Amino acid sequence: MTTNQAREAVGDYKAGWHDPENSTIRFDAGLSEQVVRDISELKNEPEWMTEMRVKAFKHFDERPMPTWGNMSMLSEINFDKICYYLRSSKATENDWDDVPEDIRNTFDRLGIPDAEQKWLSGVTAQYESEAVYHSIREDLQKQGVIFLDMDSGLREHEELVKKWFGSVVPYSDNKFSALNTAVWSGGSFIYVPKGIHVELPVQAYFRINAKNMGQFERTLIIADEGSSIHYVEGCTAPTYSTDSLHSAVVELIALPGAHIRYSTVQNWSANVYNLVTKRGIAHENSKIEWVDGNIGSKLTMKYPSVILKGEGAHAEVISVAYSGSGQHQDAGAKIHHLASNTTSKILSKSISKDGGRGSYRGLVTVSPKAENCKLNVVCDALILDKDSRSDTYPTMEVANPTARCEHEASVSKVSDNQLFYLMSRGHSEEEALALIVNGFFEPFTRELPMEYAVELNKLMALEMEGSIG
Amino acid sequence: MDPGQTYLSLEEPNNANHLWRYSPWKKVHPTGNTREIPDDFSEPEITLLLLDGGEVPEGVTIIKEPLETKQNTFSDPVSMNFIDAVSSNHKFTLKVKNNTVLNQPVVLKINSGISNSAMNLTIQIGRHCEFELVTQIVGNAPWFGLIRNSEIGEGSIINDVLVGQMNSGTLLRVDAINIGRDAQVKAGSISSGSERTKADLRYMMNENGGNLRVLGSILSADKMHIDHHVEIHHEAPNTFSRLDWHSACGGNSRTIGTGMLRVANGAVGADAGQLFHNLLLSEKAEADSIPELEVSEHDVVGCGHGTANGPVDEEQLFYLEARGFNPDDAKDALIAAFLNSTLSEMGSEILHQWLADNLQDELKSLTTSETN
Repeated sequence: MTTNQAREAVGDYKAGWHDPENSTIRFDAGLSEQVVRDISELKNEPEWMTEMRVKAFKHFDERPMPTWGNMSMLSEINFDKICYYLRSSKATENDWDDVPEDIRNTFDRLGIPDAEQKWLSGVTAQYESEAVYHSIREDLQKQGVIFLDMDSGLREHEELVKKWFGSVVPYSDNKFSALNTAVWSGGSFIYVPKGIHVELPVQAYFRINAKNMGQFERTLIIADEGSSIHYVEGCTAPTYSTDSLHSAVVELIALPGAHIRYSTVQNWSANVYNLVTKRGIAHENSKIEWVDGNIGSKLTMKYPSVILKGEGAHAEVISVAYSGSGQHQDAGAKIHHLASNTTSKILSKSISKDGGRGSYRGLVTVSPKAENCKLNVVCDALILDKDSRSDTYPTMEVANPTARCEHEASVSKVSDNQLFYLMSRGHSEEEALALIVNGFFEPFTRELPMEYAVELNKLMALEMEGSIG
Repeated sequence: MDPGQTYLSLEEPNNANHLWRYSPWKKVHPTGNTREIPDDFSEPEITLLLLDGGEVPEGVTIIKEPLETKQNTFSDPVSMNFIDAVSSNHKFTLKVKNNTVLNQPVVLKINSGISNSAMNLTIQIGRHCEFELVTQIVGNAPWFGLIRNSEIGEGSIINDVLVGQMNSGTLLRVDAINIGRDAQVKAGSISSGSERTKADLRYMMNENGGNLRVLGSILSADKMHIDHHVEIHHEAPNTFSRLDWHSACGGNSRTIGTGMLRVANGAVGADAGQLFHNLLLSEKAEADSIPELEVSEHDVVGCGHGTANGPVDEEQLFYLEARGFNPDDAKDALIAAFLNSTLSEMGSEILHQWLADNLQDELKSLTTSETN
């Protein structure tokens, strides 16, 4: 991709600036067992973690690339050109004034410190491979809530991490979970004690600044019995003419009666491969919700999953995807009903425009022993022009006769009647289209914290500019 | 290239491909050794009569066609080339002249025999024909392969129903149906009997105004494994398709319905929908559905799909029991009604009655195996 092509692809992308690269440690591009061991040594990790990383690297090395999805885009990833570790600050600070100025300015421009003061319980800000800022409200800390970056979590709560790390997403799950396990750095570690409800969301913000960078954060959230938490993450990167790779792993554990909501709005620039594995295990009467917005990136392959392990557990996945020029949003959801009386709901909405491609890929299974399960899957897609494309690939495997399962999907264009109705009331065609698109995404935006929803609506209005004529 | 050589040059299909995900080619292949093309396949016995037993009229003929038949290019190459290779001496052509209109359905009965057999059938239907064709497969062959390559002429109105009623064994079926301009086709599939059925049904609408309804009534009992893959391609403008698939699944059986609805760029005004319904009747039965959709044209009337799985509805059972049905009869009636909702749409009243009479035994076997 040339610089001009990149500019064209990115259009009005507002987070596409980059700072001069002032790294304190930068590994040479390319991946080997030595790189994996060096990352582990640099972080002074326990032996078991080093061994897990090495095993994961070997698995990554041996495992072929996926034989499904957008194989032509996937084949363009050059793993030898990617930098697997880059540190830009010496430590993780808990005061924005101590964060290096250029990095602080970046997060100021993204509005993170401001949001923290107004409506968040805690914030982690990750820049390249490491968290540069981290804080949590004192009252939550006193209640025993642990909210740390993943590296600090491993240092300070090794037993907890050892127990749960890789228990939901083993490194052998897929090629990219193996890659993440081998070279992970940063991410969040959260433990919410029994019965504690974290009222305001906690937020993590991930920023890639350097060229050809790989960001491999690892997030582990454990909500103990009867607790609840809402985790929000956002992601941006500068626009470059060369590609970067974001390959995260997120593991959620909702113990009996717990509730975890995980909201993401990824707005990576159009040169980022976003290949992420997100999965949760829901125990008895617990609830896991993924609220997942995919606006940016070149290729996203992301299928948030929930394993409904305990009786009465519930899962919801609400996702939206916007695919513009040169983008392929291959997103979806997976739900496994392993226990009786479990319920799930998937709502997926996508818009394709300017030659973009949106795909829903989903899997729902009901095991033979899971009695009286109910599940509902709805996928709606809008195609805004003749060059764009929308796909739906849902899979349903039902092995229990008492299950009630429904799936429906539709692909359509924006209705002329709706456009006419709005235009006859004084809106220009462009405004009318933006309103219809915002209305189409409304089931998603109403699940987001208000500040995020407002931003998302503005973002979509920008993306819709120039759609007419 | 010779189909055998073509087959051997192909890689074994990957299970990531939904077509082979639930019925790996190794299990469908007659010997399990996928590098082998057995050469001892026999020719099935065929008869072509009207439904009432009368002779077919002059415009309808079936001939053993010694020449190479035209290969379609949109079927899966593995199964198509394999059947083509093992049926090289059993190629037939069913020809129907332009403007043929029949009041009685035509029944093509294929007896697979008692040993492995295969048949490659080309169906050429002329312009402005109106009739119903039933292809009935019976017999005791351990393995039977059938290719049906159809060309349906401009403006024809055809009900094309295939009834799979082999007593046991494996049925591998490959259908490739080209639908001509303004043709109206109802394609019905009734599957029951063989222990393993793998069917790859593909419909191509690359001329304006094609109209297609694909209907399935699947009765799966005992240890049957019935896997249907249905692809509908909208290539031309103003084409219409609906798929309605009903599977009732009892005993230890498993039914699979995978669908691909593909709307190409330029297929303006396409109107496409598919629905898979599965009725699970026993604890050990399993039903899987993958209704896929790929839409590359924005100016469509609408494209959608849906699936629904569930047990027999308790309220409907209660309704019937309150009106004097005993619980077993009420359940049997609801299963029959579930399957009949697609069966009754497949063709005329005469055809429907014949199908219903023919399927009584299969229905009994389904309802008795549901609790096994």
